[in-house]
Amino acid sequence: MKSSGRSTITLTVLTVLVYMIMWAPAIVLIVFSFSSNKYGISWENFTTRWYFELLSNVGVRKALARSVFIALVTVVIATVTGTLTAYGLYKFKFRGKGTLRTVILLPIIIPYIVTAGSLLVYFTRVIHIPLGYITVIIAHVSFSIPLSVFVVLGRMQRINWTLEEASMDLGANKLTTWRKITIPLLLPAIIASAVLIFPWSFNDFTVTYFTAGVGITTLPIYVFSQIRFGTIGPVINTIGTIFILLPVIGLLLMNFFQKKEML
Amino acid sequence: MQLNNFIEKNKKRSGKGPKKFLAAQAHLPYVGPISIWIILFVIAPLGVVLYFSFLTRSPVGKIINIFTLENYQNFFQGKYGIIFLKTLLYSFETNILCLFLGYPIAYWIVKYGGRWKTTLIFFVILPSWTCYLIRLYALKTIVGRAGLINSLLLNLNLISSPLEILYNPYAVVFGLVYTWLPFMILPVYASLEGLDPSISEASVDLGATPFQRFFTVTLPLTKGGIIAGSILVFIPTLGEWLVPMLLGGAKVMMAGNLVYHYFVIIGNVPAGCSVATVLTSLVLLIIYLSIKFGGEGALERIV
Repeated sequence: MKSSGRSTITLTVLTVLVYMIMWAPAIVLIVFSFSSNKYGISWENFTTRWYFELLSNVGVRKALARSVFIALVTVVIATVTGTLTAYGLYKFKFRGKGTLRTVILLPIIIPYIVTAGSLLVYFTRVIHIPLGYITVIIAHVSFSIPLSVFVVLGRMQRINWTLEEASMDLGANKLTTWRKITIPLLLPAIIASAVLIFPWSFNDFTVTYFTAGVGITTLPIYVFSQIRFGTIGPVINTIGTIFILLPVIGLLLMNFFQKKEML
Repeated sequence: MQLNNFIEKNKKRSGKGPKKFLAAQAHLPYVGPISIWIILFVIAPLGVVLYFSFLTRSPVGKIINIFTLENYQNFFQGKYGIIFLKTLLYSFETNILCLFLGYPIAYWIVKYGGRWKTTLIFFVILPSWTCYLIRLYALKTIVGRAGLINSLLLNLNLISSPLEILYNPYAVVFGLVYTWLPFMILPVYASLEGLDPSISEASVDLGATPFQRFFTVTLPLTKGGIIAGSILVFIPTLGEWLVPMLLGGAKVMMAGNLVYHYFVIIGNVPAGCSVATVLTSLVLLIIYLSIKFGGEGALERIV
């Protein structure tokens, strides 16, 4: 049993070490976002000055607004299309269903850089849409739909469909049934998919960078342009802190809605 | 016009009245939009990339309709060929490292996590929800030239000038492991968690040492998780470009950086398309094999 005890210790040390390495950068970033040192990586005094500076930085504010706008539009389009698709896949048998299920996954299977590059070439050289909000949103929706489809589909396998039949039997038409029965039943999954897609779109750098063209600087693109040449500064630390804390909120929300779904 | 033709054709084929036909098309309002979307914005762009990859680039950057295999030949030869091989190598190394780090951690969480299991997994997932550009930047604040390690060593007078920790293949593989490790831990954790404890108890009762128990019982039973994790790590790593760009600089390039280089920096679209096609084919091949050997729903389970 002695060797077993030793391997347990090794295992524990390894786990602690990996957790530390995984989290050290984030913690350092958060800590130094409160340091008054203006080079951003050494500690002087506690300050919240950089957060106020962040708020007054027009470039950051605009980038943030763009990112939120793009993510919101993406969430709406992807969630609506995804919910419809999930319903179609769940309720109907049709030719090419298997193919459709597989093809839907393509955008999240193929490498981001390929999605990004292929859309860039397609927009600029084939269908000639000027790069801008439209192209970015098209790109984001493409890689967000699969998430929505499979989150909603997962929920559909667990809900009580007799309610829908009952509503139809009682004389409600298709639209009323959707509005009064189907959507409320699916709501937890729809919200979960929205909560999942928002950061997915908000965080995306690669695809946005390729499809945005000049001028549409989203927050990740702003960050990239700052760090590309090795700038380390307190303002980026504060942006990073927000990026790190945002998913905490997202995951807690998800958790909340999933618990609700269980009821 | 085309729609009419389509309807006519279908009517003839099914030989039923228009009403029955309409009922048979009831799925269209639901799956129609996505089909159009995917054809327009997923299939078509990929098709265009495939097509362009066989065309020639004129000196001014226009794409000329002359068939050539040169783009592919260039990619597999010389310095670009080496980049391709290195991409495979780094992805493979990353995968192995993620497995050797991720498996023990998943194992530890399942065995000793107790009521903290969910929290521990939460802290594994969390980083993958953060913009990974930020994570790489955070990494740089520690190991970068002006980072924490260097400033610490300088202050302790252990070194006289900052060490260059970044911009070598090790830094890139480290960054890749750092980025993609959660995707190995999660599926392995799920498969370990799904194990029936009585099986491993039975092996103990039958006299297996902990060592034997792990290698003849636990490990084979969690093969599914290992394969899923490997796919989730290997595929995104193959197409990686930000990690090599930010941690490898100009010295360490991967195929993804070539795509960026061709498309954005020098505007050689056909060459970029050939790299993209090779990457896509590789990924689809891996997925195909995993479906073939992992069964129908394997892909959806993974995702």
